[in-house]
This record gives sequence, structure tokens and C-alpha cells, in this order.
Amino acid sequence: MNLILKAENISYSVFQKKEEKVILKNISFKLERNSVLGISGESGSGKTTLAKILSGILTQTSGKINYFFSRENKKISPVQILFQNTGEIINPLREVGEMLNESLKIGNKNNSSAILLDNILDAVKLPKHLLERKGYELSGGEQQRAALARILAVEPELLILDEPFSAQDYESQENFLNLFLELKKSLNITMICVAHNLRLLRKLADEVMIMYNGEIAEKNKSEELFANPQHQYTRFLLKAEKYDLKYEEFSSREKMI
Amino acid sequence: MLNVLLNKVSVTKENKERIVLKDIAFELDGGKIYTILGKNGTGKSTLLKSLSGLLDNRFYSVNGKVFYNDKDILSLKLEELQKIRRSDIKYVFQDAVNSFDHLKTFNYYFKPPLSLIWKGAEGEVKNEVDGLLEFFLLPDSKKLFKMYPYEVSGGMAQRISFVLTLLAKPKIIFLDEPTSGIDAPIVNLLLIKLKEFVSNGNLALMVTQDLELAKNASNKIALLSDGTLSMFSTPKEFFYLNPINAEV
Repeated sequence: MNLILKAENISYSVFQKKEEKVILKNISFKLERNSVLGISGESGSGKTTLAKILSGILTQTSGKINYFFSRENKKISPVQILFQNTGEIINPLREVGEMLNESLKIGNKNNSSAILLDNILDAVKLPKHLLERKGYELSGGEQQRAALARILAVEPELLILDEPFSAQDYESQENFLNLFLELKKSLNITMICVAHNLRLLRKLADEVMIMYNGEIAEKNKSEELFANPQHQYTRFLLKAEKYDLKYEEFSSREKMI
Repeated sequence: MLNVLLNKVSVTKENKERIVLKDIAFELDGGKIYTILGKNGTGKSTLLKSLSGLLDNRFYSVNGKVFYNDKDILSLKLEELQKIRRSDIKYVFQDAVNSFDHLKTFNYYFKPPLSLIWKGAEGEVKNEVDGLLEFFLLPDSKKLFKMYPYEVSGGMAQRISFVLTLLAKPKIIFLDEPTSGIDAPIVNLLLIKLKEFVSNGNLALMVTQDLELAKNASNKIALLSDGTLSMFSTPKEFFYLNPINAEV
């Protein structure tokens, strides 16, 4: 086993009006290098919080995360996260090419960046003529590609995607899915993908983790989890994707955990 | 119940006219959920808005007729049209958060439908409201009525606007992308209520790009592409005729 990440008993809580609210409870898992982990669950289950803790934006209240990276870099984190609202990451008034070159400079000081820029644009399928445009002149999908290109420029080892498929139509969802699959092959990146869309996770992820109320309900190999869901809540979610739930099933989901 | 004949819907921008929809004709009966499928930018929302006269007539021109109860509602005066939109034909917007004024509490939004349409005893009304709020996993009226729209998430706002729609006891509901921004379990709740709504002889028409939703939730589906609408057919027929779309 070649691990890149090992999380032990991660908990996270916030204080709301002097009351402690637990968001994550004792999350433990291992992540293998060059694999894709999908995290799914209802809204409010703590998916995004977990993603933020893993990328170092939030600090867990208790628990331990061990990373096993192949190279040490104190300035740039080898974990990078692609946020949900990409439109807010790309500066609307800056040129795309300028932004990407800046990231490339930070990422590798010695390399010839012209070749790298081509490679990255190729990898995210961003046409070259868009480099002269400013952030606001890009469409939603193009902005997301530009944001992804900027992240790839610093050569992350672990890439965290937070709801990369939301707010896209069917066709661009498929395009992005194929893009991520190609990235995994060509750049040897380990990925964690947070998404509530199980249909897409099935195609993308090697392993899938289902969360409910800050706990892991089930974690298994992707094929096995979808073919043979062990946990009641996973079955509930799979049925919900088909849109044929009854109200009784919905109200009894609390008891499933 | 609703009879639609649209010759042309076009938008004028910088003195250039662009035709968005052309030659659209269909008839919808009560007691069914209809779905219009289509990709981004094919004019789904424009079609839905034109049916209840919601398009801004400074930019859009609608050439056609929409018959509701044998009356062409597009030729009505604004006040009469608003009256129908207030009681009979309701529209649930895609961007629910921004369809509320962020500086008014939800009390402001719940008062009018209650006083206008409901003449029942106060306790009865309160029970109905709380029942609906509880069904949609929302805070009860005591708490919610003190909240501002900026305090709720997008998914919650969508559910609140759906509750408001149901409280008005309409005959027809138009839904614009009801699944965007909410996760699958909550969509199921919405569909349970929607099915209950049409089982009383009412009509629901939604536009979406969610194939799974169209397949499982609707009685009739039509495809909108290049500004024209295909015929409404049952999900089985539809996905047999359009095998590419069936690839869910």
C-alpha cells in the first residue's frame, strides 16, 4: 500500500450562540496514491468541511492527519482545492494568461514555463486564444477550466474538488468528468472529489465514501458500493437519485445511522 | 387546460432581432406533470416565462396566444394578468434566493397568500403552513417568519418559494429547473407534493436538463432544441425515440 494520506479520528465543531455544534465526528480513512476518492451525502452532512480540513483551510478540533508527500515544499502546499464557486476565484479584471504565468512562476522557478503552459492548457482543454481575455469574458465552464489550470501550475500531489459538477448542464458535466479522468492518467494526481451526484462519482471514483450528519455511513470500492450497497442510508441515497422515494422512507432516514 | 400557440418569440438587442422560439403549439391537460427537456441556452426558461407573460416587453416580443380556460391570457391587461398570476398560475423561479427582497422577513411573504386566498380560521391556516414547512424540513412558522432571505441557503429558499406557491392554491404551477441547487433526497420531497398537487386535477409544467427527473417524475416529455419543441410523449416513447438522451 502506497498511502498519500491517513486521517485518524478527525472531529470538528463550531460554537453557535455558546452551544457546541458538532459538524464532523471521528472520521478515519486512508487514501492511496493515484486513486480517486469520492465523497457524497446530503447537504449539511459535512462534506465540504471535511474537504476544507484536508486542504488545510480549517483546522480540526481533534484528530490527526498524516500526509506522505514525495517532495517537500514549504512555500506551496502540495494539496490544492478547486472551490465550488469558481467565478469568485478568477479575478474578473485580470488577463487569464497573466494569472496562469504567475502561478507557473511560483510553481517552478527553474523550468522553462512556455512549454509547461502549453501542457497545462492542453490538459484542461482551454483554447490558447482565451489567454488574452479577462476573467469576466469567460463563460462559467471556461472560468472553471482556468481556475483548474492555475491550480495545476503549482503541481499539486493531492487535488481536492468541491462540487465541480454543480451548476453545469449534462453535456459539460460529462466533459469535465472525462477531463478529470484524463488528468488522473496523465499527471498522476491523487484526487478527492466531493459531489452529491452519485451518477458521476460512479464513473470517476475508485472508492466512494457516503457521509451523513458528520459521520461516515459507508466507504467501499466504487463498483461494490453501487452494485451492492451495504448500508441502509446508501440504499436510500441511491433510490433518491432515481426520484422514487416515499415520504415514510424519508422521515425514517434518521434511524438508519 | 392550457392551450399554447406561439408563432414567434424574439429578443431585440442592439437593434438586432434574434428569434428564440418559433412555431410552438401544444395542449396540456390537468392531472399531469409535463416536462420540457433541453440543453443550456435553448430557450427553456424563455418559453416558460412567455407562457405567463413574464418576459420583459422592452426586449422581448411574443407573437402568439396562450389560452387558459378559453381566454387568451397574453392579450389581457396587466392588472388582470397579475390577478391570474396571483391566484391561478404560479411560477417557481430557478434563482429562488434572489426572488425574495433581502431586507424583508419571510413574514412579509407569507402574509398575502394567507389573507387573500385563505378565509379559514386562523388556527387552521397556521396548521396548514406549519404542516407544509415541516414536510419540507424547514423551521416552523414562529422561527421562519423572523428570518431574512439572506439567512437561508439556496436550497432552503427554493423550498420556501415552493411552499408559498402551494399555499396560494393555484391551478397551474410552472417550475424552472426545480432540481438545480438541491440534492436528490430533497427533490424527492418536492416531487411527492407535486404529484399530490396534480392528482387533484391540477397541472404542472417544468423545464429541466435533468434526464433522470424527466424519466421518473413526468407523465409527458418534449424536447426543445433549436427553438422548436417536439411533440409531448410518454417517457417510454420519448426515450425510445431519442436514444442518445436515454443514456443516463
